Amino acid sequence: MIASRVHAIVAAGLENPALLARWQQQPDLLRTYGVDPAEFDLDAIWKFAGLSAKVKHNGLRAELPLTFRFLSVNGLEIEVFGAYASHKARAGTRYAPTTAERIVELVEFLRDWLDFGKRQHSLLWDLIRHETALAQLRQLTPSTKRSRVPHIVGEIVLHEMNSDPRVIGKLLREKSFDSRRVRRRVTRLCYWNGGDPDEISIIELDELGFNLLSLVDGKRSIADFNHLFGSLNDAFAALASVGVISLG
Amino acid sequence: MKYVTANSGTVAVGLAFGPIVPEFVRANPDLIDYVEIPFEQLRHTPEVGTIQETVPVILHCASMSVAGFVPPDQRTLKAIGREAERTKTPWIGEHLAFIIADSIEDDDDKPTSLTYTVCPQMSDETVERVASNLGSLQEHFDVPLILENSPQYFEVPGSSLSMVDFVSAVVKRCKVGLLLDLTHFVISMLNTKKDPLSEIDRMPLEQVVEVHVSGLNVQSGVAWDDHALPAPPIVFDLLERVMKHVRPKAVTLEYNWSPQFPESMLVKHIDRVHKIVRC
Repeated sequence: MIASRVHAIVAAGLENPALLARWQQQPDLLRTYGVDPAEFDLDAIWKFAGLSAKVKHNGLRAELPLTFRFLSVNGLEIEVFGAYASHKARAGTRYAPTTAERIVELVEFLRDWLDFGKRQHSLLWDLIRHETALAQLRQLTPSTKRSRVPHIVGEIVLHEMNSDPRVIGKLLREKSFDSRRVRRRVTRLCYWNGGDPDEISIIELDELGFNLLSLVDGKRSIADFNHLFGSLNDAFAALASVGVISLG
Repeated sequence: MKYVTANSGTVAVGLAFGPIVPEFVRANPDLIDYVEIPFEQLRHTPEVGTIQETVPVILHCASMSVAGFVPPDQRTLKAIGREAERTKTPWIGEHLAFIIADSIEDDDDKPTSLTYTVCPQMSDETVERVASNLGSLQEHFDVPLILENSPQYFEVPGSSLSMVDFVSAVVKRCKVGLLLDLTHFVISMLNTKKDPLSEIDRMPLEQVVEVHVSGLNVQSGVAWDDHALPAPPIVFDLLERVMKHVRPKAVTLEYNWSPQFPESMLVKHIDRVHKIVRC
């Protein structure tokens, strides 16, 4: 088989993994290039495209160290980045130019791609959202704008998790990681930059506090909330006592 | 600026440039002899070259497509030449691989350019092509090109030679120095179900100029290069074995993918390499 033709086909498949999928479904397409489809291990080439995508995301490791460690210790890197490379190829888009944008795009991809019925996928989803929230809030200088109605003090990100990502992080720092040691429980977390990007707080909330905080928009008054949901004075007072909201 | 000095008999120990290296070099100025920097990194972020004020630099490269059928553009070759002169690198390590290939569409004359090197078809045809490419590429540089063995992740169609036989044939045909990446070697052996400890003796070890050491992992049924992980014991076993045959001029630890690579592990592995090369 002519080497230059082989290189051309391998390079085309690596550059555009969507082609690999097409060739897998219709091997005869490869014959039009004068080669025998049986000679090409398309699955292995697809995995190599995954390695390449992973390496192109090395710049994210500073912001997502635990996510990358989780992917590595659970043997998910090639599978995840292989799928991501294919996704980008199908969409015909390039990886975003900045680290912050690449993180957002990767999270968006995972939201659709992960199978939350799989324990490891679910833990990965919690962990990457946890680290992304911390990374995003570290980059923000919160506005000091105040309001006469309940409003967030600084900036927050809210996530409802299926486990506690802080526990996953702690276990990942140990010598060996066993995902079975992570307890599955709904964990509602508020990531809060109260004004100092070097000090991001994480507040665990109950269901009421979580939902209330998600509705605080600096426009609705306590009276508006009470009118809609009944008396929420105690819940507001509790959030205000932590400092994450001001009652105005 | 600091430059690598020829010191016969001494094996220099260095690090591949990465996020942890500048701080590590500042904190441990006497632990390593040089930093290896890819030309591509110097081209896109020239400021990384300032590290040469503190430590000498060896130039690495992944742009020449030595085992390919589409040549690199002249501007790239000139830029590599300028970096070689500026850094006074003693050699340029390039991959025995391709990074550019023809388009698959006959009516498209724009080649496919990748951003990473790929193991070529390992055949007599490619050996001849490497010889031809190397002849014309070497003319651009005053220092020797040395070739790095690729990791083999899959069987490249049309290959008639094993990795060891291919590298040996290239070295014999081209009389070129070898950058022996021991991790690539282990990966290739694992993925082709060969024993690295016996196969290493069949490599043209007398031609080894530089050695690379890094981590690997096995995922989805394949062994992969991983510069975020420490090298496994087999890599150090192989280094010991190589040292019985040859004294390379340099050994580079490639722990350059992760800003979280533990400094204590880095120091431990540098120390381990020092002990092996001094035996």
